[in-house]
Amino acid sequence: MDADSFNDLALRVLAGEATDHERRALEAELTAHPERRDEFDQLKRTHDLLRAAAPLTGAMSAKEPELPAHRLNELRTAVRQHFGPAAQRTKAASASGWFSALRWIFAGGGATALATVMVLLFFSNRSIEVGLYGTDLMRGGDASLSPADVPAAKLLTFDQDAPFDQWQSQPLAWYEHAKVWVDNEHDLLHVVHRVKHGHIVIQSLPLAPTTAGQRDQIKQVVELLEK
Amino acid sequence: MWTDRELLGALQRGDDEAWEEAFRRLYPSAFAAARHPLAALTPSEAEDIAIEALTLLLPKVNQVAEFDELRLLVITIASRKAISEKRRQLADKRGGGDVTSLDAMQDDENLRFEPAEQLTGRLSPTDLRELSRLLDAALAGLNPSHAGLLRDFLVHHLPYKELAEKYRMPMGSVGVTLARGLEKVRAHLKTSPKLSKELYSYLR
Repeated sequence: MDADSFNDLALRVLAGEATDHERRALEAELTAHPERRDEFDQLKRTHDLLRAAAPLTGAMSAKEPELPAHRLNELRTAVRQHFGPAAQRTKAASASGWFSALRWIFAGGGATALATVMVLLFFSNRSIEVGLYGTDLMRGGDASLSPADVPAAKLLTFDQDAPFDQWQSQPLAWYEHAKVWVDNEHDLLHVVHRVKHGHIVIQSLPLAPTTAGQRDQIKQVVELLEK
Repeated sequence: MWTDRELLGALQRGDDEAWEEAFRRLYPSAFAAARHPLAALTPSEAEDIAIEALTLLLPKVNQVAEFDELRLLVITIASRKAISEKRRQLADKRGGGDVTSLDAMQDDENLRFEPAEQLTGRLSPTDLRELSRLLDAALAGLNPSHAGLLRDFLVHHLPYKELAEKYRMPMGSVGVTLARGLEKVRAHLKTSPKLSKELYSYLR
C-alpha cells in the first residue's frame, strides 16, 4: 500500500468514516508492516488534537448569534451577586479621584457607607425569610416554630391575609436567597429560592400533618437552603 | 464605544454597563465553543452552557491583562463544559435502562471524549492563541479550496460525503487531500516544539 492510500485509509478510520472491511484492512496493514504503526500513531495524535482544538480556534472569530435578550437579566444578577449592588457607584467614585473621595468621607459619606454596609450585612445574614400567620404560632404553643429553630432565617409573622399575600407575591429582593411559607389552605409548604446564576426556583412540598412536624420540616428546609 | 482597554478596566471595577457590553461581545464566541461538534448539543443546550461560561468570567476578570484573554477563556470554559455535558447525558442515558454492551459503550465514550476533555480543560488562552496562529499559517500555505476542505473537516467536523459535495470532489480524493493537509499542519506545529509538546501531553 503506498503512502497516500495508507494515510487515506488511516484517516478514514480515525474520522469514523471507515467500513468494517476498511478497518480490517488497516489492522492487516499494521500487522504486516509494524513500522507503519508509528506513522499511524502520529496521524492519530494530530487528528485528535486538531479535531478537539480547531473548533475552539473557529469560535475566536464568531460574530453571531447575538446574546438573547431574555438571558440578560440572569447575567446582570450574576454581576450584582459578584460585585455587590454598588457596582455602578464604584465607577463614579474611582473616576472622581482621591480628592473627591476624601471630601466625600469627611462630609459624612463614610458614615453613610458604614451604615449601608451594616444594613447589607444584616440582611445578608438573614437572606432566608420564613413567613407564617401569627395565629399559627399561638395555636401551636411549644410545638410551633420559633426564631431559635431557624437561626439562619428571618421569621416574619402576619396577622392579615393581604400583607401575607403581598409578601408571597413579591419577587426575591437582591439580598434574599429564599423565602418559605406555610399554605394551610392547600396543606403545602412553598419554597422560592435562588439556584445557580440567579435562576429562581419555586417548589411546593406536602405540609407535615402536625405542628411539630411542620416545625421540623421548616427547620430542615432552612438548613438545606443555608447549605 | 469602549476600547478594549477601557472596557477591561471598567469590568474590573464591576461596572454594570461594561459587563453588559462584554457579555454581548463575548456571547458569539461562547456559543460557538459550546456548539463544539464533539459535544453536538442542541442550540438551546449550547445557549445554557454559553451563559454559564460567561458568568464564570466574573471571578477571573482580575487575573487577565487584556480583554481578548476573556474571549479565549470563555471559549475554553464553554467547550469543556459542552463536552462534559454530552458525556454526562450519555452516562445518564446508559443509567436509564439502555444496557446494551455497557463496557463497549463506556470505552467508546472514553475514546471519544477523554482526549478532548483533557485538552480543553488544560488549554491556556496563550496556547489557544498560538495554536490558532499556527493553524492559520498552515492553512494559508494550502490551495484555498484544500484549506477550506481541511478547515471544514477540523473545525466543523463535516463528514466526507458533505465535504465531497461542497468541494465538488470525488469521495476518494477527500481522504487523500485531508491527509496531505494534516501532514502540513503537523509540520507547522513542529515549528513550535514547546507548544506541540504541551498540546500532545494534554491528550494523554
